[in-house]
Amino acid sequence: MRRSFRIRTVGATVLALALVASACGDDDASGDVPADGPTINVGSTNFGEQLIVGEIYAQAMEAAGYPVETSFNLGSREVVNPALKSGEIDLLVEYTGTLLTFEGGTSTTDSQETYDALADLYSGTGLTVANYTPAQDKNGIVVTGAFADDNGVSSTSDLAAMNGTLVFGGPPECPNREFCLIGLTDVYGLDFAEFKPLDVGGPLTVAALEGGEIDVALLFSSDGVIAAKGFVLLEDDQSLQPADNLVPVLRREIVEAYGQDLIDLLDSVSAKITTAELSELNKRFSLDAEDADVLAKDWLADNGF
Amino acid sequence: MGADPLGAQSIGSRLMEFLGDLAKWFVENWDGSGGYLQRTWEHLQVSGASLIAAAVIAVPLGAWFGHTGRGGFVVVSLVNVGRALPSFGIVALALPLTIWLAKTVPFISSGLGFLPTFAALFALALPPIFTNTYAGVQGVDPEIVEAARGMGITETQVLREVEIPMASPVILTGLRLSAVAVVATAPLGALVAYGGLGRFIIDGFAIQDDVQIVAGALLVALLSVLTEVAFTWSERWFVPSPLRRTAESKDLVLRPVV
Amino acid sequence: MILAQTNDAFFRWDCVFSHLDDIWAKVLEHLVLTGIALGFGLAISLVLAIIGLRFPKAYPPITWVTGIFYTIPSLALFAFLVPITGFSVLSAEIGLVSYTLLILIRNIVAGIDGVDPAVREAAIGMGYGRRRLFLEIELPLAMPVIIAGLRIAAVTTVGLVTITALIGQGGVGFFILSGLNRFFNTEIILGTGLSVIIAVVLDSALVILQWALTPWARSRSAVV
Repeated sequence: MRRSFRIRTVGATVLALALVASACGDDDASGDVPADGPTINVGSTNFGEQLIVGEIYAQAMEAAGYPVETSFNLGSREVVNPALKSGEIDLLVEYTGTLLTFEGGTSTTDSQETYDALADLYSGTGLTVANYTPAQDKNGIVVTGAFADDNGVSSTSDLAAMNGTLVFGGPPECPNREFCLIGLTDVYGLDFAEFKPLDVGGPLTVAALEGGEIDVALLFSSDGVIAAKGFVLLEDDQSLQPADNLVPVLRREIVEAYGQDLIDLLDSVSAKITTAELSELNKRFSLDAEDADVLAKDWLADNGF
Repeated sequence: MGADPLGAQSIGSRLMEFLGDLAKWFVENWDGSGGYLQRTWEHLQVSGASLIAAAVIAVPLGAWFGHTGRGGFVVVSLVNVGRALPSFGIVALALPLTIWLAKTVPFISSGLGFLPTFAALFALALPPIFTNTYAGVQGVDPEIVEAARGMGITETQVLREVEIPMASPVILTGLRLSAVAVVATAPLGALVAYGGLGRFIIDGFAIQDDVQIVAGALLVALLSVLTEVAFTWSERWFVPSPLRRTAESKDLVLRPVV
Repeated sequence: MILAQTNDAFFRWDCVFSHLDDIWAKVLEHLVLTGIALGFGLAISLVLAIIGLRFPKAYPPITWVTGIFYTIPSLALFAFLVPITGFSVLSAEIGLVSYTLLILIRNIVAGIDGVDPAVREAAIGMGYGRRRLFLEIELPLAMPVIIAGLRIAAVTTVGLVTITALIGQGGVGFFILSGLNRFFNTEIILGTGLSVIIAVVLDSALVILQWALTPWARSRSAVV
């Protein structure tokens, strides 16, 4: 995309005010203050988990005294990735395997391997990665419990038996994604009767699956809704989905400005984010309608930050 | 697309490239379940359904109120509230209701897509049709109405054979305003899983495909203009010729645009 | 019902009250976006209206061009702008301002045209020059019609601002979008309700303004 990309500054500031300085609890930056440096602008894409982890890292940094700003809800990867590279945002929580593939690398199902490849790819560029989290969030092919029982499916390959009859629902960008429709067609040989563009693992997709308007949905493996609704996450038996650990990607100049202390802080936060915890946070966000910033604050408090 | 960094190409050539991509899009995307012919048809379906439903309710009601002369306050309030309701909000609000409806009512198969879009567009179309019909019927020259009564016909006949025909330019204007507003607002349906031309805009936003976004926007704008033109021409068939000029001047309720 | 399972109540007042700061911030943003649009819209419309009045031949093209903007559906217009001006306040404002132009120009011209010719002649007879005539006679007398147009423009703009949530702005439209992205009725109702309230408040404020600016019309009832 050759047009110049600008993030709404007024909107971002107001959003930052609305999301970081929440009314549900006060949150003042205190603690040891590193040397005066550039503001770290934390960005995120547009679904709940991104908001929550974005908040976690942002609040952790702020509590340690770093100057932090947030620009959340920007849009899909096509929006945030250029934003990170151009410096509109400074830090983004990404997913190792999917990001690696997006950047042209080859990902595997091994977390360490994928992470190392990503770190290598970014060496010598303006971006770098901190450590990855134990938590993973992969694309999940999901059906209802009833569907799984009636049709005896437990893995994605099982769906091939019903080619041509099933309706698949997912985010609008799914047909463009290698780990979504493209992969399902190429690797699994699946042929859906119809694809319905819904939302990014949100209420529309869940409602459509529940109501039977779609047979198969794309949700996210760390989404607490799956367990809560008795959905079945089909096994990725052909290993289409790469290892997708969460990883903070940040601009090298930020690291240069603040040094290893910042990386250590991020790593210490990352080490505590497990898939189980992430699922729980996601569930509370989507189903219990709790706020991302409150969830982040509580989680940080519970984990000693 | 656009592999050159910012400085290498002039704005002019980038624009030409974009227009070329746009033209290519129109050539390639007309068919299939996601093609723009299908999407246009979906767009017209939900627009037509909501317009007709609104007219069926609002024309008789408006005519009746206009005939009896009561309810002026209702009219004014309806116009004000109707204009103040954000369509985006209505579409979003309709969703949980229609989802619930689909679960409890057996013959409704889907709470997503068509229903919430229809609900929002119906709400949008009601006020202009109602208020214009009311104003049109009420504004018929009282002498003519009296003369008709004097001829001994019933009240209903007065309404049907005198007042409504005389009010037809204004009524048709109301229908036209609603129709254009509905066609213009239907893209919001893409947010609640409907198809229609809004799909190109919303999906284009999702993957930052400028060509798709602009193509969708162009199609919606075009359809909107065609709707306006179609209704303006239809006056020729529905409105008795001596009354045609009054239609434009009675633009009582400027169309609420989305 | 999904929402019965997830939210105990249909509308959660507790969540509203615990977020008053955020809500207020969004309301302010909404008012700012609306205000900028109306301000620029009125300024541009006044200029174009004066041109149209002064050079009657220019009037049809002016209404034609502004009419085109009016016909372009709002989501489509914002969609056109995003590739050029990005997800920014500028994109939102360009769209919002365009929608006010036709209404305001038409009403300003209609208002001025509607001034009683006898009054105009009397003023000229008393020695009023063209500019004084416009500023001190025609414009004040046209106020009711102009403000009627301003009211329509204001209410319409408030509704349109909610849609700008889709391009990163939104004011209280943010709540509608956010509520749509997760199972949250309360947010959607909040966003919609606030939009209506803001529109009604603005409308009333303009009615009061009209009342204040036209003391000679107070004995007659205001036009809708």
